[in-house]
Amino acid sequence: MALKGLDIFKLSPKKNCKECGCPTCMAFSMKVAQGAMDISACPHFSPDALATLSAATAPPMKTLKVGTGDAELTLGGETVLERHEKTFVSKTRYAVAVCNCMDEAAIDARLAAVPNVDYERIGERMYVEMIYVNYSAEGKTDYVETVKKAAALGRTLVLGCTDVDTAKAALEVCKDSKPVLNGADASNYEAMNTLAKEAGVVLGVRGADLNELHTTVEKLEALGNKDLILDVGCASVKEAFANAVQIRRSAIKDGDRTFGYPSLVNAAALAKGDIHMQAALASLFTLKYGSIVVMEEMSYAQALPLYGLRQNVFTDPQKPMKVEPGIYPINGGDENSICLTTVDFALTYFVVSGELERSGVPCNLIISDAGGLSVLTSWAAGKFSASTIAKYFAEADIEGKIKCRKLVLPGKVAVLKGELEAKLPGWEIIVGPNEAVQLVKFLKDM
Amino acid sequence: MPFNAKSGKFNANINTVELGCGDKKIAIGGENVLPFYTFDAPVENAPKVGVEITDGILENEPECVKKYYEGCESIADMAKKAASLEGVDFLCFRLEGGDPNGADKSTEELIGMVKEVAEAVDLPLVIAGCKNAEKDAELLAKAAEVLDGKNAVLLAAKEENYKTVGAAAGLAYKQIVGAESAVDINLAKQLNVLLSQLGVSSTNVVMNVGTAAAGYGFEYVVSTMQRVKAAALSQNDNMLQMPIITPVASEVWGVKEAVASEADMPEWGDAEQRGIDMEVETAAAVLASGSNAVILKHPVSIATISKLVKELV
Amino acid sequence: MAKFITIGERIHCISPVIRKAMAERDPEPIIKRAKEQLDAGATYLDVNIGPAESDGEELMKWAVQLLQSEFDNVPLALDTANKKAIEAGISVYNRAKGKPIVNSADAGGRIENIDLAAANDAIVIALCSAEGVPSDNDERMMHCQNMLERGLEHGMEAEDLWFDPLFLVVKGMQDKQMDVLEAIKMFSDMGLNSTGGLSNNSNGMPKHIRPIMDSALVAMAMMQGLTSAIVNPCDLRLMETIKSCDVFKGNTLYADSYLEI
Repeated sequence: MALKGLDIFKLSPKKNCKECGCPTCMAFSMKVAQGAMDISACPHFSPDALATLSAATAPPMKTLKVGTGDAELTLGGETVLERHEKTFVSKTRYAVAVCNCMDEAAIDARLAAVPNVDYERIGERMYVEMIYVNYSAEGKTDYVETVKKAAALGRTLVLGCTDVDTAKAALEVCKDSKPVLNGADASNYEAMNTLAKEAGVVLGVRGADLNELHTTVEKLEALGNKDLILDVGCASVKEAFANAVQIRRSAIKDGDRTFGYPSLVNAAALAKGDIHMQAALASLFTLKYGSIVVMEEMSYAQALPLYGLRQNVFTDPQKPMKVEPGIYPINGGDENSICLTTVDFALTYFVVSGELERSGVPCNLIISDAGGLSVLTSWAAGKFSASTIAKYFAEADIEGKIKCRKLVLPGKVAVLKGELEAKLPGWEIIVGPNEAVQLVKFLKDM
Repeated sequence: MPFNAKSGKFNANINTVELGCGDKKIAIGGENVLPFYTFDAPVENAPKVGVEITDGILENEPECVKKYYEGCESIADMAKKAASLEGVDFLCFRLEGGDPNGADKSTEELIGMVKEVAEAVDLPLVIAGCKNAEKDAELLAKAAEVLDGKNAVLLAAKEENYKTVGAAAGLAYKQIVGAESAVDINLAKQLNVLLSQLGVSSTNVVMNVGTAAAGYGFEYVVSTMQRVKAAALSQNDNMLQMPIITPVASEVWGVKEAVASEADMPEWGDAEQRGIDMEVETAAAVLASGSNAVILKHPVSIATISKLVKELV
Repeated sequence: MAKFITIGERIHCISPVIRKAMAERDPEPIIKRAKEQLDAGATYLDVNIGPAESDGEELMKWAVQLLQSEFDNVPLALDTANKKAIEAGISVYNRAKGKPIVNSADAGGRIENIDLAAANDAIVIALCSAEGVPSDNDERMMHCQNMLERGLEHGMEAEDLWFDPLFLVVKGMQDKQMDVLEAIKMFSDMGLNSTGGLSNNSNGMPKHIRPIMDSALVAMAMMQGLTSAIVNPCDLRLMETIKSCDVFKGNTLYADSYLEI
């Protein structure tokens, strides 16, 4: 976090001794804030003041890595509260929960379903990245055995276990895969800290309320542990939301380092078996500050909007989302189906392909590299022109792959028709509508 | 040390706008905090949930929604059934058949249906147009007239037709004008300025700042809503302090994740569940981003979102 | 960032009409000038009652109550060398639309106005000068530091001290203009608020030139981080420039009608 001159000035000795070479402490503070001078040029800053300053310039939220190899995930490291201020950096990770309170068959079924959702969307693999293994003292099955089964799926584990001995046994079988041990509270934090440190894993902390959580985190930090995840609790939806927001906001906006850690939200527990409520909560906590969101299961119904939402929210506003250039057959389009072309800007692609699907007309959507910009912007920048389209047609051997010789251009670049006819001899170039929403009617009327 | 909570309460408010009349009247807006931040200050008016029906009666409804309206033969039947659903605060009647490029129904026919709906239910009403600016100017002006005294929302006045819609809805019949822009914060503000210059009171305006289904460029929706709320609350920009109403249903029930049949996409599973979750997750996200009301279609989505709002406020 | 704050300067006893109205407690001319300035977009109104040694307290109370009752508690800057009159004005001041501004303190004989502002939870304009024009920015910043420390010692928030770099007249002190602009940048780098009598720059220039000079200077000063100015809000060019700069700075959201609101 950048410090203002005033923050430094308030801690300065205010002696105006000029030993730093500046006429006043205020002038010196300004130079330090600008980065033009180093704080060490002042011989009179107290050690306390220096410690306060160095803490204030540290990142507001810790970045953690959990899991290993392909399953390694990055959590935290955010610097803003809303994506438009800069960007979010570590996307929300979704975990599916099992518990040793379930019977073996239910556990097996739940785990067996985890790999079902696994698909790609605009270059991103969408799948269940974590398994949350909850421990219940009244469990029907052996916790460690459940952990072993869960570990076999190759996803990063979260051990939801506040019992020290059980947690120790569970870590024995999975610590090498760098799970999260979500089990510290006000009563067991010392023992849990020892376990987590010995195993080299990130420790999850919970508290009866934010005060207790804050105090426990401070105690853990005093023991030298700064690899923590904060569990927002599951007393009620309202409280979990309040906690998730206040934890993140106090870290990012108010500079409270004690809460500068990733969070964990147990949507499965909060939804109390209402599967659509769980979907609503997963969406809510993806926007508002869940680093890990735990779900009872992940069906396609829940996943399709959720992963799409996450992909949208966690894109860098400075970098447009692009789809890969290529031929996208729609409604069973084949080599004899009509072709349409547009830019590779993901939003354009989605809107256009959605309308083409609605039309029910078999067709091929041909996307060339237009720099991830919208139709008019890329045209103006020379990235979507008769030459770029013709060049792509040659490179991708469109004529070898498709027999149809009809190509629909976006209406907004109708001006390209003549040039394109010259560059793509044999093709009938048709000017399409200006807006995607008019495509259905356009295609049906053709 | 215990946690030192700093309040995020602002010195400015979103306008409170009342919709409807009589016992079923509702109020939206009024808050001086970000969405659901009840820990900063109490939120008096929880976001509201509306149900959408159309002049097509059952014709254009998704398959999985039809069964809830079994036996409904007229728009009045449909409206009554919709109004009785759990969690419904208001009713949105969308005149989609008015589109000259679609069914092109006459204004007389559609306004006749508006009257039937108004007679059938006592919930606050939102009358949504067909998205053709020219036809909407005519439809919504006429709807404002026949709903005189109902304090209904006319959705929407756009840049192209705000004068007609604003004059009829906002001035002549004192209804609520819905100001619609498409994910363009400068235009959202400009429309409010234009409506206020026309003489429409700012407490008679709600905004539809545009939406998308989750996954479909939804980041623009989030940022637009968050920036509107930031300007309204932290910069006290009174040309953006109107509450936001978001028609979610008309976006989500068009995307393939919600409507593709199980036969076409066997690995995706049950189509109804997909439709519900697309609607629920999109609605939860627009509410978290700043919407004061959402318009939905599926009864399960409505009940779920209504429950979510109750849990949060 | 908050929007640029304009303090309307036209209720000033140097104007014969206002002086007469104040002497006779005639509301009409004062209300007229206040309305003109508010219609033109002023945020605060400055109320300069002159030295007012004999009846300052009563006059300031009268003026504050008159303006606040007529214009929905419009926020005011209380401008007089008479400290008792400022306190009297604050005693009847309604804060619904903003804290009162004490106009002004300096680093010399009027430094106690900082204490006065602190005691009354008011904003204070802190002129970075002790006697006359500061010779350079080292001197300006020394005054700034002294006044800031004094305010903080008395329990003020730094944001309630609005530092005035002392705008200088171009005709005669053209070579000092960049110093003033640099001082504003220094305040801004410190995270401090700033204000000042910006139109002083164009004193003595032909009437048609002044809005041009004032507009150019306000744009440059806002770029440097100036957060407020004491201006004639009836100067349309100046107000349009300020609104435009607020758009560039992201202090207000652009809409095509931004000049009309």
